[in-house]
Amino acid sequence: MANTKNASPKANKQTKVKTKWTSRQKSECVWGWAFILPTMIGLIVLNIIPIFQTIYQSFFKTGDFGRGNIFIGIENYKTILSDPEVWQALVNTFKYAVVEVPFSIAIALVLAVLLNRKMHGRAAYRTIFFLPMVAAPAAVAMVWRWLYNSEFGLLNNIFGTKINWISNPSIAVFSVAVIGVWSILGYNMVLFLAGLQDIPKDYYEASSIDGASGIYQFFHITIPLLSPTIFFVSVTRIIGGLQVFDLIFMVMDRNNPALYKTESLVYLFYQYSFVNNNKGLGSAIVVFLLVIIMIITVIQMRAQKLVYYN
Amino acid sequence: MKKKLLSAVLAGVTVLSLAGCGGGGGGSSAGGNQAGGGSGDAGGTLTVAIWDNGQKAGLDQIIADYTAATGNKAEIQVITWDQYWTLLEAGASGGDMPDVFWMHSNEAQRYMSNGILMDLTDRIAASEKLEMDKFPDELKELYQYDGKTYAIPKDMDTIALWYNKTMFDEAGIAYPDETWTWDDFYDAAVALTKDDGSQYGTAMNPSNEQDGYLNIIYSMGGYVLSEDKKSSGFDDPNTIKAMNFVDSLIKDAMPPATVMAETGTDVLLNSGKIAMLTQGSWMVPAFKENEYIAENCDVAVLPMDAETGRRVSIYNGLGWAVNANTDNPEAAWQLVEWFGTKDAQLKQAQLGVTMAAYDGVSDDWKNNTDLFNLEPYLDMREDVVFRPATRATLTWWNMMTADLKEAWSGNCTMEEACQKVAEDMNKCLAEE
Repeated sequence: MANTKNASPKANKQTKVKTKWTSRQKSECVWGWAFILPTMIGLIVLNIIPIFQTIYQSFFKTGDFGRGNIFIGIENYKTILSDPEVWQALVNTFKYAVVEVPFSIAIALVLAVLLNRKMHGRAAYRTIFFLPMVAAPAAVAMVWRWLYNSEFGLLNNIFGTKINWISNPSIAVFSVAVIGVWSILGYNMVLFLAGLQDIPKDYYEASSIDGASGIYQFFHITIPLLSPTIFFVSVTRIIGGLQVFDLIFMVMDRNNPALYKTESLVYLFYQYSFVNNNKGLGSAIVVFLLVIIMIITVIQMRAQKLVYYN
Repeated sequence: MKKKLLSAVLAGVTVLSLAGCGGGGGGSSAGGNQAGGGSGDAGGTLTVAIWDNGQKAGLDQIIADYTAATGNKAEIQVITWDQYWTLLEAGASGGDMPDVFWMHSNEAQRYMSNGILMDLTDRIAASEKLEMDKFPDELKELYQYDGKTYAIPKDMDTIALWYNKTMFDEAGIAYPDETWTWDDFYDAAVALTKDDGSQYGTAMNPSNEQDGYLNIIYSMGGYVLSEDKKSSGFDDPNTIKAMNFVDSLIKDAMPPATVMAETGTDVLLNSGKIAMLTQGSWMVPAFKENEYIAENCDVAVLPMDAETGRRVSIYNGLGWAVNANTDNPEAAWQLVEWFGTKDAQLKQAQLGVTMAAYDGVSDDWKNNTDLFNLEPYLDMREDVVFRPATRATLTWWNMMTADLKEAWSGNCTMEEACQKVAEDMNKCLAEE
């Protein structure tokens, strides 16, 4: 809705100036709409409508199988805001994001710069780093679960340690975040590689002649010129990080003593909506998460002035 | 400025739509699951949903007989227990469900009372193949609501004790038998626990209710759910006594809670970490396939309680139900009818899929393998307690597991945890 509001004054202005469209403009307009229509329909049916349904549902005590819903106003919100488990889940979600987002960006950036040079086996390395992205998250989680296993796990066997990677409440969430970093690395790297291709070689040549070192170039040329990509990646990764679910769901068994200190908001949403069949309460949790993500995104948008667009 | 605003709006839309994805996720995944089933066309293949992969091979053979006899095709989809109910719920709400599926006492009342399941009463009455009087009454009643029948009993299960013969021999302890009390069980479990942590007496997770502590609670005279299903029995002195007994096992004869949670009790048994495990008859197909268990383990009846003299097994049985809105009601009915016939029940037992619900054919089940003596599972039928269920069983059931987890990991005493379960459970029951 807000989107069209923003675009319509422009369109009005145009029609006022040129009341008659040429046939070319008309055909462009038709084809333009034709091209974006499939995406728009998909977005509206699969995303936009469910969003409003979710918000609507959060005000109800939902009956069995979506029948006999009773309107209860903001009761669900009162319940979740007074539930310590929800706040704990929020803390867990932030802990996860705080590890996953910066590390996945920093490591991916360094990898991208290293793999942007001419070198032997470049394609092979790029493929290897991207592979986790292709693997199914459930399979990834299962493999890591066994790597982490305190009795039979590879990690404890190699290091000769006895660490409960995923069942010690104080470190489990970070162990899960490590899996997150590992699996998203390749995707971030590809985005950075694309960004790096856009930086003209001249800058590097000129600074080399002036005697700048590789590290100096990295901080003073690469990072500023790559900042739009970094900005994009960090916005989308924070949103993605706050929505973590599949890793926790697959790695953490419900007997796991660390579950309370690891479960994310989306995990809690799943529990309420689909295990306890309390869809109203579940919806309220997602709307709560939505508000938090919106606030963070607004803050990030404010920080956009640090981004260097040429 | 305008550009910035636009990008902010776009970012907002992205966020919203991602959240929406979460909200609508259940529905779309159920749709995806259905895509391969082809329940749409009347002459097509029936989709059959089950949650136990160990039973698929045997059921496939029974379905092959059905196809040979009727010409109708059916295809089994296995969905893990955790996701099974999510998908079924989404299917029931969205209208796209498998044609034939398993029903469980946990959820049966909710599904029956909402008209999700096909009313089979008249068809059963008219059926020439079915002999409903051959099924135990308690099992039939599980799937009856308002005087109507919504599912045909499929099987029944009991709990028995698995033990590692090699470890017993090594420690010089006599194998468990029908003379054992829970105190003998405790003594043996402690004796079989090695100080270096390489071997433990037994293992049990908070989620091993039916196959674990519930049996001990009922043996010791406690209860979980009152007769009128209105209040919790977790504050009953006998229940607490039983749970304290479990607690002493946790402390003296089980691996750390973290290890049990990470690894799972069945894996601990088949990797030679524990000497004894109480486990349900439904695990037999899986254990049969495991080389280590086949070589080292055998089955005994559960111990009895010295005071009450009772040896209780929690008892449950699944039902075959039909989607009320199936496109192919005749074929779907014929399939569940087929599963309920004596021949199919006998075959199910002989193939070792599960014990049969049909009276008298389970004796064949114990002969499905010569690796273990399965007789104890049949003996356990003598004193059974039905798995407790209410309209919204899973709500308090999962909460019970979560509360008990605190005692397992030592954050509170077992008695405190039981009181907490009672309190939370009463709250849940009041809301039902």
